[in-house]
Amino acid sequence: MSVSAPLIDLKTQKYDRQLRLWAVTGQTALEHANICLLNATSTGCEILKNLILPGVGSVTVVDANLVQEEDMKTNFFLEPASLGQPKAKAVVELLQELNEDASVTFTIKEPRDVIHEDKAFFDPFTMIIATNLHERENMELADLCEKTNKTLVIVKSKGLVGIFRIQGPEHPVIETHPENPVDLRLGNPFAQLKQYSNSFDLDELDQTDHAHVPFIVVILQAVEKWKKENNGKEPQSYSERNEIKAIIRKGMRTSDEENYEEAIANIWRLAPSSSSIPSDVRQVFEDPACNNITAQSEHFWIVARAVRDFFENEGHGRLPLPGKLPDMKSDTTNYVALQNVYRDKAKKDLAAVIGHVNALLKANDIPENSISQDMIESFCKNSAHIKVVRYRSLEDERVKNPETDKIVTWLENEDNMSYYMVYRAADLFHEKHKRWPGSRGGDNLEDVKLLRIEVAKVLGSLQITKEKSDILLQQQAMENAITNYVRFANRETANLSALIGGLAAQEVIKLITRQYIPINNTCVFNGISSTSAIFEL
Amino acid sequence: MTHSTVQDPDTPSMQLDNASPAEMDLDGDLENGLIRPLDSEELVLALEEARILVIGAGGLGCEILKNLALTGFKNLDVIDMDTIDVSNLNRQFLFRRKDIGKPKAIVAAEFVMQRVPGVQVTPYFGKIQDKDDDYYRQFQTVICGLDSIEARRWINAKLVDMVDDEDPTSLKPLIDGGTEGFKGQARVILPTINSCYECSLDMFNKPTTFPICTIANTPRLPEHCIEWASVLEWPRVWGKEVKYDTDNPEHITWLYQQAQTRAEKFNITGVTYSLTQGVVKNIIPAIASTNAVIAVFKIATSTAPYLNNYMMYTGNDGIYTYTFEHQKKPECPVCGNLTSSVTLDPNMRLDEMIDWLKDKPDAQMKKPSLRIEGLSLYMQAPPALEIATRPNLSKTLSELLEEGDIITVTDASLPVSLQMKVNWK
Repeated sequence: MSVSAPLIDLKTQKYDRQLRLWAVTGQTALEHANICLLNATSTGCEILKNLILPGVGSVTVVDANLVQEEDMKTNFFLEPASLGQPKAKAVVELLQELNEDASVTFTIKEPRDVIHEDKAFFDPFTMIIATNLHERENMELADLCEKTNKTLVIVKSKGLVGIFRIQGPEHPVIETHPENPVDLRLGNPFAQLKQYSNSFDLDELDQTDHAHVPFIVVILQAVEKWKKENNGKEPQSYSERNEIKAIIRKGMRTSDEENYEEAIANIWRLAPSSSSIPSDVRQVFEDPACNNITAQSEHFWIVARAVRDFFENEGHGRLPLPGKLPDMKSDTTNYVALQNVYRDKAKKDLAAVIGHVNALLKANDIPENSISQDMIESFCKNSAHIKVVRYRSLEDERVKNPETDKIVTWLENEDNMSYYMVYRAADLFHEKHKRWPGSRGGDNLEDVKLLRIEVAKVLGSLQITKEKSDILLQQQAMENAITNYVRFANRETANLSALIGGLAAQEVIKLITRQYIPINNTCVFNGISSTSAIFEL
Repeated sequence: MTHSTVQDPDTPSMQLDNASPAEMDLDGDLENGLIRPLDSEELVLALEEARILVIGAGGLGCEILKNLALTGFKNLDVIDMDTIDVSNLNRQFLFRRKDIGKPKAIVAAEFVMQRVPGVQVTPYFGKIQDKDDDYYRQFQTVICGLDSIEARRWINAKLVDMVDDEDPTSLKPLIDGGTEGFKGQARVILPTINSCYECSLDMFNKPTTFPICTIANTPRLPEHCIEWASVLEWPRVWGKEVKYDTDNPEHITWLYQQAQTRAEKFNITGVTYSLTQGVVKNIIPAIASTNAVIAVFKIATSTAPYLNNYMMYTGNDGIYTYTFEHQKKPECPVCGNLTSSVTLDPNMRLDEMIDWLKDKPDAQMKKPSLRIEGLSLYMQAPPALEIATRPNLSKTLSELLEEGDIITVTDASLPVSLQMKVNWK
């Protein structure tokens, strides 16, 4: 064979399977991330493994402990030679060799000390992952992260149930990667689409051509026919759409015409509901950040406002056209021509949005070209699926404004909320008794009793009445959670660490790449029942 | 096995003896949500005696081997017929750059044994079909990290076949599942007892195959141009005997350039090297984090079989897990007892019926052969028999069959034969 292979660099080859998920833009963001892991726990190391393998930029592990026998039983990033060594150093050695592209370093310090006495240590990091720290440190860290706009992931992982919580700055996502992003505008075809559709004389076509007319044209022509028979009225209802279906069926020449079957299968796209804008988008448009554009506005909001301006003007109540056409039964020429009709409209809409962006920049004395064309184009392509995730701070959750009513409802209906309570109670237990529940091993009915007292305290701190609290404590789910937690014997397990490692790393990747939709804000994974729950606390 | 009376997530499922009341408390009571204390001694002993087989040492296999070894299992076997490729390195963490080209099973086994003292991992570099019943009988559980439907059907049928009602140890739970991007699923198959792999075949979408007329005459998408290059142009230029090697960059480049030229001719945009590779190799995007999650689902289902029986996971929008019970199909050709009934148009031709069989999502056949008792209707092979039965293709079913006849269908992709009882429409 006399072809020479194109020079695809080694990195692109290595990362091929993930580039198909988040493309070069996502990969670049990943490679610029700088993450700090507090405590070299098994779970923490598993999270890092799933970030280092895809090429995260830099990671620093902070831990002052020395490796003990116990650690080696559950942490894959410790080996027999690690025994007695500083844990941070030992795990970093085995994590670094997973991928030479990532920079993995260690600091032999107690996370608690760094948090209280050396906050400047955290300056270079964009994200902090805190595993199995005490609540006191978590709260301090949360406060620091809020003030410095860093993202914080708090992880608690013992035994068979793990929890992680995200706190971070406002997180807009343009590339949410929706499942079915097709937008064909059949309900209100734009001028060029109408024109293209009307250029077909279906009756005059020979059999082959007739069977290769794109279904979009078939539908639009049937709609026109129906409108003529109904005084120019727009079809609104389900029964009216059925009448259009009948028109299409009549137009079918043979039972083999796939394009006509596609038309029938796609009639639902005429429904008015499929033209209204999604609630997430409406929320973005109505957000104060979208209303009040200033020189300090984030690019996302400036473009959002530009799209809203387009929507209210040239768009006539429609978002910019994404311009993508799914495959359909058609000959090549017609398909490509139709595709170009959609692409041209998308280009026109994009140009109008860019006009609005420039107007906003000018009105606020922001330099022209501050916002890249690529970003505006991406926004236009994805405008129907954008999402803004806002995280409540830990302070709001625990101190200022806890979601007591929601929590009570969850405790009554969702087993896994009990574990959230139990983990909080475990911290109070540690404060009082200077040891963790179950750390003495075995069944330890004494610890179960003591832990239950702390759970009652947590419920009380949420302003839940004693009466209600007593009922909640007696529920089977709560009883089990307290008993099971003690039986975890205060140790991590390999399997749960691996699983939480997977879930938390996935969320971290979503946050860094700004693609796909991260959870908001707490995930509980129960490895006993193999169930998960997401709570917005 | 005389101890380990109650299932515990950290022990493999053993025989279900009845526990004495005194033991119940500390043993936990999983059906009611209580575990046994995780530092119990009995756990360790149970793990040491079990033998687990891991099929596949790729993305899922690496995670499964690591977790089983750390959990405390001492006897693991791993089978994989592949060698290591650079595109594996973003998630198959038991391999390094220096291992490229070496057999996955062997490198994986060595890595795990070196990292986790005390575990014995026995690799086999080859196909699962190379091994016989005696080999598979050694194991308590089989956990799959496979990427092919055919391989899954084979091991599923093998384990169902091995079940002997007289011998409870002949029942080997099969844990299967896969991942794609941020999604995945895991399920436990208790051969002959619950839904097997074959029972659920119609749940899986057939891999995208474009109609030949689209590829030959009316391409619209860049994918059509690529399929044209691989399905039509390659054999035309290089001959039917020479297959392209999807791991050969020169072959991929040739296909890419051919596809590109064709696309230009039809004003189609979007043909890239990456897309070409993706279509030709049927590439599925994959990352370590999803594999990590599904691997643990698999281990969880293998140790808590009361967990019925299919777990699904999606992570692209938040985190969502869902467990449901997939029902066994009584007429399943592998594990079912009933013959399936089929209603046919007596005027349908045999070749039309064969096309219909090929399209059935619950059978996924490629080149089926059909016979009834005493008569071969159409046999794809050997050539002499094919020629002899070819005239039947143009006959109608009523000319060949009677109502009530049982058609036996065989096909290379079917691990067993399918029995279908004929009813006329």
